[in-house]
Amino acid sequence: MAPAVLIIVVLRLWPLLLGVNFSFTGDGERNGAMVGLDNYRDLLDDPLFRTALRNVGLLVLLLPIAVAIPGLLATFIYLRVPGHRLFRSVYFFPAVLSPVIVGAIFNLLLAFDGPLNELLGGVGIGPVDWLGDPKVAIFAVVGVQIWATFGMALVVFLAGFATLDPALLDASRVDGASLAQTIWHVIIPGLNRTIQFVFVTTMIGMLTSMFGLLYIMTGGGPEGSTYLPEFYIWVQQGQMNRPALASAASTALFLIMLIVGLLQIGLLRRAGRED
Amino acid sequence: MKQRARWSAVLIVGLALAGCGSASDSGDKPSGGATGKLVVWDWKSGDATAKSYIEKAKADFAKKHSGVTVEFVAQPFEQYYTLLGAAIQAGKGPDVMLFNGGGQIRDRVDALLPLDQYVGEDKQRLAGWDAFTKDSKIYAAPVTLQGHPIYYNRSLYRKAGLDPEQPATTWDTFVADCQAITKATKAKCFAQGNKEGIGIQFFLSGLGSGILTTQEYDDWIAGKRNWNSPNVKRVFSLWKEVNDKGLNSDGANSTAMFNDAFAVFQSSKASHVIGLMSDIGHWKDFAEFLEADNVGVMKAPVVTPGTTPSLPYDGGIGYAVAKWTKDPTVAADLVRSLTSTDALKAFYADAGAIASDTTIDVSSAGPAVAAIVSDLKEGKPALHVALSSKTIELMGRLSQQLLSGSITVDKAVEQLAKSDQAG
Repeated sequence: MAPAVLIIVVLRLWPLLLGVNFSFTGDGERNGAMVGLDNYRDLLDDPLFRTALRNVGLLVLLLPIAVAIPGLLATFIYLRVPGHRLFRSVYFFPAVLSPVIVGAIFNLLLAFDGPLNELLGGVGIGPVDWLGDPKVAIFAVVGVQIWATFGMALVVFLAGFATLDPALLDASRVDGASLAQTIWHVIIPGLNRTIQFVFVTTMIGMLTSMFGLLYIMTGGGPEGSTYLPEFYIWVQQGQMNRPALASAASTALFLIMLIVGLLQIGLLRRAGRED
Repeated sequence: MKQRARWSAVLIVGLALAGCGSASDSGDKPSGGATGKLVVWDWKSGDATAKSYIEKAKADFAKKHSGVTVEFVAQPFEQYYTLLGAAIQAGKGPDVMLFNGGGQIRDRVDALLPLDQYVGEDKQRLAGWDAFTKDSKIYAAPVTLQGHPIYYNRSLYRKAGLDPEQPATTWDTFVADCQAITKATKAKCFAQGNKEGIGIQFFLSGLGSGILTTQEYDDWIAGKRNWNSPNVKRVFSLWKEVNDKGLNSDGANSTAMFNDAFAVFQSSKASHVIGLMSDIGHWKDFAEFLEADNVGVMKAPVVTPGTTPSLPYDGGIGYAVAKWTKDPTVAADLVRSLTSTDALKAFYADAGAIASDTTIDVSSAGPAVAAIVSDLKEGKPALHVALSSKTIELMGRLSQQLLSGSITVDKAVEQLAKSDQAG
């Protein structure tokens, strides 16, 4: 027991505490000096960090869509739509691509003079500056993130379906339930735990693994509209040479993730009790 | 029970210690440059075009210090300052490191050794020292010169019935020429890329000498920037006006300067681009696509009557010495080898860089290089290089807002003034 605790303390808790402690020190001329909560005040005063936090809120709002898409597609595959085997592999395929490749592909597709705008032009809709319009860019990046990652959630859903009692589906069919009724009354209650799991893991994925896509697709722009905390940390640490401020932002992100994690534990516990 | 108590004590003492003092290590610790070895970090030595440059520099250094091994570690440029920042923070970085001139090195001089006493002999031969100087101390020796010439496509000028030997010298005639070219060839006036907010830096420095008076220009470089001056505001209103009038290539805020905007110019979809003198997006790159004779270089058109346009340039990249290196004299000698004439000659020939060594003969490189080199004598430091990294970053974001119309010029300038005065 004791060595295990030591490993956890030295390799996990200790660096974490150093990071938190570092966030209370200064940058530049005040390097190393304790500055109390100054970095946290700077963070709250920084419109970029506030945008990053607002975008976290936006991600939470978009989360149901990110979960519903793989859920629905997994339902169709489970109900054996024609070609379901092909769909399974096609949907999963982007999950094996690096975000850099995905970002580069969509940079080409979404370019101002790119094929999507040409297509839109063909049907008489004016070009959209997908990655250059601050009102549109964040939705474009989140859309690509969902496209690139829903394959993994789909696999989790399919695994969940394996635990679903087929007798319930047969019963609903015999009772003449429509597809929508089957999904609402049989599949959703039956996959309750899987849905909760996908909700939490998708949220964590969006908060911690969108860096590559952001870096390639928008670089945080335009006008800082696509900043997320992770990207903000990188910019402050590497580009602005403000590692202590970056540590404060990391601590803030850690707290956000902690809340999400606690939510996860709460959800799973409650689901366990229902069983 | 006793053992549990002991472990608890270790845990508590450990956690308590973590909360004491600073996690930042600001002390000077020795590092990689121990006995007989110097470690160099850069983002150039991995390029094929820099191979002979590095070889020549190594050979020159070996003549002076045959017992010292030199290890070049080429880092990816987009990660370079992140990695370097972490190394500096730990006080365990390389002995010699490459920097861009301006804010990137000035923000980090605390970790660097002043080189004044080592580079005295090179001061006349090399140009571009100012970009690596802070508080009158030199922190790196310039390898290349970096600046922002306005390149134009002579072939498009000819197609529009204009004389490529006589590019416009005033803003109004410049716009008229652009309109004639667009009418004849459909090419836009400027290839513009502002996805990373870099376009405005090129615009400010490329056109600034035709907008600010000589006094305003010199004051700006000296740090006495009057953001309320109508001419300073004119830079930003012109930036917006150019886009509003459709002179820029489409989708500037979603077009990367590197290399999408340059590709627009190279493919003759725009007649002008404010490019670079060295690295990427410069005369040699353009000459490969447009042919050397079709690449022209012009000075900024006069926007404010009475101004004297000049070539904006500074030291581009330069090697610096970490203050924790074990033997500063040896490390400084390596920097001197990296800026020796033979090495820089190879860098110019293979990579197309305008080297800091002004004694190198460039007469066979075509009209663009001839124009750039002949303008060096009257050239002045680039306006954006004088700004801090923080103000540059803010300017990038504000420039995007100006293009999308979500901020006024007055508000943008007000924010820039505040950031600039905060330092």
